[in-house]
Amino acid sequence: MGEPAARPRVLPASKYRGQKIINTPSNRNNPASSAAADGSLAKRKRYPRVYRHLSAYLMMTPAIVLLIIFVIIPILYGFYLSFHRWDGFNSPVFIGTRNYIRLIERDDVFLKAVTNTIIFAISVVLVKNVLGLFLALLVNQKIKGVIFFRTALFLPVTLSFVVIGLLWSWIYNPTFGLLNAGLELLGLEGLIRAWLSDQATALGAIITVDIWKWTGFHMVLFLAGLQSIPKDLYEVAIIDGAGAWTRLTRITLPLLAPVTFISVLLSLNGAFVRNFELVFVMTDGGPNHTTEVVLTHLVTQAFRFGKLGYASAMGFALFVVVAVIAFTYIRIGRSGAYNF
Amino acid sequence: MATAARQTNPDLFPDLFSKHLSDRLKLLLVYAILIVATVQTIYPLFWMVFGSLKTDADLFNNVWGPPRMMVWQNYVDAWRIADLGARIGNSIIITVLSLTVLLIVSSIAAYALARLRFPGRGAIFLIILATMMIPPEVTVIPLFIVVRTLGILNSRFGLVFVYAGTSMAFSIFLLRGFFMSIPPELEDAALVDGANRLQVFWYVVLPLARPGLATVAIFQGMFFWNEFFLAFIFIRQAELQTIPLGLVNFFYRYSADWTLYFAALSMVTIPVIVLYVAMQRWFIEGLTAGAVKS
Repeated sequence: MGEPAARPRVLPASKYRGQKIINTPSNRNNPASSAAADGSLAKRKRYPRVYRHLSAYLMMTPAIVLLIIFVIIPILYGFYLSFHRWDGFNSPVFIGTRNYIRLIERDDVFLKAVTNTIIFAISVVLVKNVLGLFLALLVNQKIKGVIFFRTALFLPVTLSFVVIGLLWSWIYNPTFGLLNAGLELLGLEGLIRAWLSDQATALGAIITVDIWKWTGFHMVLFLAGLQSIPKDLYEVAIIDGAGAWTRLTRITLPLLAPVTFISVLLSLNGAFVRNFELVFVMTDGGPNHTTEVVLTHLVTQAFRFGKLGYASAMGFALFVVVAVIAFTYIRIGRSGAYNF
Repeated sequence: MATAARQTNPDLFPDLFSKHLSDRLKLLLVYAILIVATVQTIYPLFWMVFGSLKTDADLFNNVWGPPRMMVWQNYVDAWRIADLGARIGNSIIITVLSLTVLLIVSSIAAYALARLRFPGRGAIFLIILATMMIPPEVTVIPLFIVVRTLGILNSRFGLVFVYAGTSMAFSIFLLRGFFMSIPPELEDAALVDGANRLQVFWYVVLPLARPGLATVAIFQGMFFWNEFFLAFIFIRQAELQTIPLGLVNFFYRYSADWTLYFAALSMVTIPVIVLYVAMQRWFIEGLTAGAVKS
């Protein structure tokens, strides 16, 4: 806290030319009189700089301390640990980039987990947003019962992944599950299977649940965007003879671009990491690692086998991927035609 | 007939259907799709409640329908075996404390960032922006070590600070936006009258920023209440477990007591649904505004 006290004295007076009068010793401790004396400048020079900066730093301190302890130190420390072999108890042994080399060259489960994570991420981002937009177009109307539909479709957003994961593992249950019973009812016995223990369907089944949970959320985002589009644009387009498809692609989608940007960003950000709960609850990575994602593999390596250094390398790789994707995406969005 | 078809209402689904479809057909199609979507969203929840009231035999033989006979005893047994009372208590304590710490610390910091000019403000804001997009999941191993070093592993207190700390950046960012949208003239008036910054913040700004605080409270409150991953890593003691941990524990410990699982799940889900339906406007606005503001 020494800096703010020292700072005002070393600032060149010229920078504050014209404001100096307010800061004279005679009225320094009387903000009211200085504010009254010079209305426009009072806003910046109400208090002596020393006190003003001190209070600003005091106000920032608790937040900064929490951020440093729980966000910044873990990022840096994770980077450090990723170059070590460590069981969590003895002192870490520096092994250079061997953790990373092993990840790429010798850990088949990790490669499987990466593939699954990417499949998971791409499919949920695409389907959530497309379905969300489609439903938003439907509920963006003054038709009877529309509030009910909106409320109902948003409902899964409020439930936890654990609740939803458990519920859906029973829906997929081969003996008393809703899904197989439903297929039987429709006469589609050929499709009946043990959804979560079948290697061909397990990952898809989990992806479906994530989409089920979040589609209503994206629907509401798009709905807000749709409601800000002026109605007369459509009337003019109809008079000009534009078809429904033209109206959708030439009016609705371009005007929704800012909302789409945010909606995709949000789904993208969670897509790589918010998959642990569902996988853990529904399949625990099985059968035969077909639903293993990076996060479940990381937790297994760290807390079941005590390979904290190796798991840190995994975590850091995931951190880099998430950060690069987020920042590239934001950069593209900002430099694109739409100014956010 | 052709002219009748032309006279459709242009306000109805202007971007979805061709104008040659009659209004009635459009409506029919839309309702059909919406009803299917809604049923597949809501029916599983009804099914869960049905299952919680069935006997084991009923559950296996009568998969789809409502229970033939109400077995309320399932609820009594599930509550006792899953120790739901303690878990609900833990979840309430942890959610309320995390929100309290988060709201107090982040609102004060956000206000300083929104209104005060001080050396380093730009750099701090940049760090907040950068870390906002980093989910705590990716740093879970070093975070675990930090928490262990601080001696707050396996404590509600520790989890509270992990929650508050990892959602700090986002919350500051959100609240800063709200504070900046409040006209500064009101604060200036209070300052001229001799109030200090903290008084201005407490008596003038916070009451005006209530919608912003509510957004953060709902958005983060839902997150803390439902959170599993961090709780799973940082809390191993059964008596400290939150609801999501308790459910998973219950599910793995007792094999095939399906009706009891359904009962436990219903008990923790129904209050949330009731709360959501009662305050749906707040929930929908809070959860989406919280996201959009970023």
